[in-house]
Amino acid sequence: MSTFTRRELLRLSGVSLASGLVLAACGKQAGVVDDEAIAVLGQSQTLKPLAEAEVTDAVLLRTAASLEYNAIETYAAALDLGVLTGDLRKVVEIAKRFSADHSEHADAVNSLAVKLGAKEYRCSNTRISETYIAPALKIIMADDNPNQAIDIVALAHAIENLAAQTYQGVVALLTDPMLRADAIRIGQQEARHAAMLAQILNPGLKNVGPTSDPQTGKPNIAAVPSTFGSLANIQLSIGEPKPDGSRTTLLLETPSLNSLVYDFVACEA
Amino acid sequence: MLSSSDIKVLAFAHTLELTTRDTYAAAVARKSLGDDERALLEQFHANHVAYEQSLNGLLSKNAATKRDDAIYTSFNAKLSESQNIWLALLEIENTMIVSHTKAIETIESAQVAALLASMITVEARHAAILASQSTTNLSTALDNNATALVAS
Repeated sequence: MSTFTRRELLRLSGVSLASGLVLAACGKQAGVVDDEAIAVLGQSQTLKPLAEAEVTDAVLLRTAASLEYNAIETYAAALDLGVLTGDLRKVVEIAKRFSADHSEHADAVNSLAVKLGAKEYRCSNTRISETYIAPALKIIMADDNPNQAIDIVALAHAIENLAAQTYQGVVALLTDPMLRADAIRIGQQEARHAAMLAQILNPGLKNVGPTSDPQTGKPNIAAVPSTFGSLANIQLSIGEPKPDGSRTTLLLETPSLNSLVYDFVACEA
Repeated sequence: MLSSSDIKVLAFAHTLELTTRDTYAAAVARKSLGDDERALLEQFHANHVAYEQSLNGLLSKNAATKRDDAIYTSFNAKLSESQNIWLALLEIENTMIVSHTKAIETIESAQVAALLASMITVEARHAAILASQSTTNLSTALDNNATALVAS
């Protein structure tokens, strides 16, 4: 139970009010001029407010278009390397066909974005390029990598899975049912690409379904790795084998809030 | 809670999966298959069982109770008429893909559409593998010219 009387409470509130006025008078409100006499180390940047970033159907479609260009660039790099020879010579034709498919997909999703009033996006996704593809290519093309040819196919396989997952994932996000259908119409073909490349990397009917490496316990590449289309991250093991037999593993994830192609993102190509 | 419209569309998708499940069961029973071939078809059969069961759970009391006999007969006819079981199953998977995609065009619930999408991407993988068992033609594995089956 409080021991303050009504009179004491009024007196205390008066004191608090007076203290506030004194403190306020010491601040800028009292006309104090900044003379920059106090030294500050370094310079603080002026912060620019972030642009409004709304995840709309058009943004999701522009993001899907950007991934198509990531895939096209990956196949171009694969062909430019000139390592698809011998047993992997057949991959050259596959790469050309898949790249042409991605070009058609890019046209299709850009057309849908334009119908929604958005601008088309004809560049690869910068974050996907910088975070996954460029580092992967650097590892693959290293002089000490004895598996350049098969690793470039593994990268293409990972990108196809990424594309298939992206289209599958946006079905839950798109607001228009017709656009959901359009998205998965493309996504199902990316899944076919991934399955065919998986059979090149790990051939044979026994390896179509999920299997694991008996030594490492890690899942092997599979054409049909799960019963339902997975949205989990994609493992890409590439590069020179380490003494214990393991290789560098990159984990690829579908575009998220920090890699969507928002309305204000301009193509720099 | 599913809308009445979604229930109708999904119930038909469920019927299609029941029908495809039974078609694969018939294919797996073929004596001409090698061990690896049978194991592959058993895996694909198991996937369709999982799709049927997931749709059953979603639809609950509105779930389909049996396959569509007319479609089953037409699917089985493809298997028996075709000299190549792989191409017949490819055609069936392609039909499932376009039919589920057609369903997504009208389904109101995004989550339900996402479930069908997660089936479609795997059925597409089935299709690519089935095609590769009988041809090296890329278009056969990648293009889908099947006609969608829709609820009447």
